[in-house]
Amino acid sequence: MSSLPGIPRIALTWLLVAQVLVIVPHLVHLPLWMIALWLGAAGWRVQIFRMRARYPNGWAKGGLVLLVLAGILLSRGTLVGLDAASVLLIATFTLKLLEMRTRRDALVLIFLGFFCVVTAYLFEDGILAALYSLLPVTALLTALVGLQHSGFAERPWPPLRLAGGLVLQAVPLMLLLFVFFPRMGPLWSLPLPNDKGVTGLSDSMEPADIAELSRSSALAFRASFESEVPPRGQLYWRALTLERFDGRRWSQSGYADVPVAPQWSKAGAPLDYNIIMQPSGKRWLYALDVGEMAQDSGRMMNDFRWQRLRPVDRPLLYQVRSWPEAVRQAQAEPPGIRQALQLPQQGDPRSRAWAAELKAQYPQSDALVAAVLQHFNREPYVYTLRPQPLGSDSVDDFLFNTRRGFCAHYAGAMTFVLRAAGIPARVVAGYQGGELNPSGNYIQVRQFDAHAWVEYWQPGQGWRSVDPTFQVAPERIEQGLEEALTEEDGFLDDQPFSPLRYRELAWLNQLRMSWENLNYGWQRWVLGYQGEQQLKLLQNWFGSFDWQRLALVLVGTGALLIGLLALCLLKPWQQRPDPQRQAFRKYERLLARHDVRREAGEGARSFALRAAQQLPEQAAQIETFARCFEQQRYAGGPASRDALRKALSDLRSALPWRLSR
Amino acid sequence: MRTKLDTCLDSVNQVLLGKEAQVRLALTCLLARGHLLIEDLPGMGKTTLSHALARVLGLSFQRIQFTSDLLPGDILGTSVFDKDSGQFVFHPGPIFAELVLADEINRATPKSQSALLEAMEEGQVTIEGATRPLPEPFFVIATQNPVSSGGTFALPESQLDRFLMRLSLGYPAQAAERALLLGDARRDLLPRMESILDHAELARLQAQVPKVRASDALIDYVLRLVEATRSQPQFAWGLSPRASLALLAAARAWALLAERDYVIPEDVQAVLPSVVGHRLRERADPTGHGGGSLVQWLLREVPAL
Repeated sequence: MSSLPGIPRIALTWLLVAQVLVIVPHLVHLPLWMIALWLGAAGWRVQIFRMRARYPNGWAKGGLVLLVLAGILLSRGTLVGLDAASVLLIATFTLKLLEMRTRRDALVLIFLGFFCVVTAYLFEDGILAALYSLLPVTALLTALVGLQHSGFAERPWPPLRLAGGLVLQAVPLMLLLFVFFPRMGPLWSLPLPNDKGVTGLSDSMEPADIAELSRSSALAFRASFESEVPPRGQLYWRALTLERFDGRRWSQSGYADVPVAPQWSKAGAPLDYNIIMQPSGKRWLYALDVGEMAQDSGRMMNDFRWQRLRPVDRPLLYQVRSWPEAVRQAQAEPPGIRQALQLPQQGDPRSRAWAAELKAQYPQSDALVAAVLQHFNREPYVYTLRPQPLGSDSVDDFLFNTRRGFCAHYAGAMTFVLRAAGIPARVVAGYQGGELNPSGNYIQVRQFDAHAWVEYWQPGQGWRSVDPTFQVAPERIEQGLEEALTEEDGFLDDQPFSPLRYRELAWLNQLRMSWENLNYGWQRWVLGYQGEQQLKLLQNWFGSFDWQRLALVLVGTGALLIGLLALCLLKPWQQRPDPQRQAFRKYERLLARHDVRREAGEGARSFALRAAQQLPEQAAQIETFARCFEQQRYAGGPASRDALRKALSDLRSALPWRLSR
Repeated sequence: MRTKLDTCLDSVNQVLLGKEAQVRLALTCLLARGHLLIEDLPGMGKTTLSHALARVLGLSFQRIQFTSDLLPGDILGTSVFDKDSGQFVFHPGPIFAELVLADEINRATPKSQSALLEAMEEGQVTIEGATRPLPEPFFVIATQNPVSSGGTFALPESQLDRFLMRLSLGYPAQAAERALLLGDARRDLLPRMESILDHAELARLQAQVPKVRASDALIDYVLRLVEATRSQPQFAWGLSPRASLALLAAARAWALLAERDYVIPEDVQAVLPSVVGHRLRERADPTGHGGGSLVQWLLREVPAL
């Protein structure tokens, strides 16, 4: 043990500081007992340092590991998956303190710390998190520097200063690599952490059983328009369609899941915009009707929704061109249209009867749809996020008894009635509206903007969208959710600290907008800087550009840097010219052509002896040169380049001419 | 003058057959005012070599047989009460000779070893508060059995460092051994040897050694050698500045013996194995005797020019 260097006090201090800084950003997803574990381990380690405690033996360590595993199993329910694995990682990072005896162990801990800093990005990759991570990185570097200090060093600041300097020096290199380093696709995709794939949308909806809709102000996506932003009443962001109804629950049908783009024809002026989507853990993408995207972003499914091959598990940037006035599947009856007429065998007799009544009254589809919308408008329906639970005939109960609900209720009920009246219809789920950030000319759509509406099909006209919620609460569509809510609902009253609640405070709102702007820039230019975008930027800078050229540039820059470094280290301009050495090199080269090579450790005299043995005819000339060299170099004879040159040329003329051997 | 050195060498070589290189190195060591450690098995001629050197150089000779019960006083001398004069009278020990042969030095306890080694370093001894100078010239040849022999106290590195050179005599070649078997007993030859140098001549030769020219290029070579031992991973530790001084002094003496007034890299290479062999250890085996292979590495890899 005594031969192994221990851990200096400064390094231990900084290591503990670094551990706290590394663990803090993980706290949002770590179970609380982790704090206790760290406090215990750190306290134990400090006591070991003060020689008040011993290192735990094998049994104690084994027990701790089992305890941690049990804790993870209890709090996460599993030992696999990203969440459990990250808890396990942090626990390892903590427990390693207890077997940190030598510098080598401390090094392991420090490298593990760097890894933990990186894993924190899986949970939070905002600008604050990125800036914050400089802190633990600096602290870890400080611990690394401190590890090289003597155990007697007392002052904790010099290593910090050195580490800070190192970080600062690394910044230009970091920027350079950020801009130029090619981004490679992930080799495998990580499942999302549980708390990250928040989405207000799911692939089914069950309005009858929802007593209270949970509202989240988390961001769903941002859309930036190249031209003017359309009024929010037109912003219906389609995500998916729900076509199957079992009496209570709307869900996706198999017909919609066919990756065959349906027939449609462009009309009117297109809208161009970019979307930066937050990770949703789902495969669908958001677009206004009818969207067009590049092939590598996703593909259009049979119900006009866009879908990727893999779930969106990190922020995604894609470009869309939408044709809001396009005509969809107007020419022929779409395959699978019968799914849009599907109804449960029985149930909801009053609604069916009402539908039959309407059908008799309005034989034209358009007129019937208008009548249903008018019904919602005229009758005393209430838009609320706290509807009453519905009975077994949920549609009947809603349409004729409670008359309180949110978008899913209205869309579901209307689709049911249209189908009962023989009109193909389906529920579209997505987002509606969004908040315009005036300084950035982009729209932020949050999870509470999730919405459901209806589209119906008729021959010759194709699919058309209508929104029954607009009839009940037009302000929901035109101004946003908070305007549509009644007193009893209260906007975001489950999130008292959300800045969105205090929009009436102008300065706060402006502050929030600027902050959002900053985040948008981060998303757009930092996190979204990959693939296409990187290529485009580099093309802007360097004209025609491809990855091969980038590789060349990178290799060239690297070689240049190493060359400059070598120049600085070797300083060839400071070496004085050494004519004797130069002459001797020529002599060596000359003899090497005749197969006599000097070994590195061979002196001039022994080399000359050997050479004279191998070339006996030129022995005299070889010895003359060697003696001349020795006289000048070792005996303090007058330095004369000419004498050496003459001896060399004598030898050269004595030797048969050879270019190489 | 220099031819007298050659005569010395010839004379010793007549007694110690077939060991020209070692004899030359031993003389080099003496010219450079260094002490010599001879490490070999018993009966290889260690004593004969030292005795012969003492004879031809005209030095007074004393031999101390080191044993495990040898005390420092046995080496340095003691004060004995003289009842006639009523005073303590100092009786000098065997160390007060010009050439001291410390036979089997590693059989004595470290305490006795250090008494000798201090005298070697200081050139004087302090006994009972009185400092007494040792004769000039003062030259120690210590012999030791290889460390693996039983009942020995190996010299620590710090004390090995005080010897300028370590030599190993080795078995004689067959022809030399034949001559040895056919000729007279070696010990009988010794009293018949005549001294070739006197003290003044020896002192003059020793004074010439530091004047032998060592050019910048040669110093660079010595520095490269030393730097290699300090930076290359296979060395447990590098050579000390004392070692680099010793290397240069030995190379100068070697050049003087070769009748040159300047040093060339070959001189350094000739003395390198015996000067640094006992000061180097392999990192893989810090207590072992890996010096030899490290020296070979140095000779082969360090650029001589």
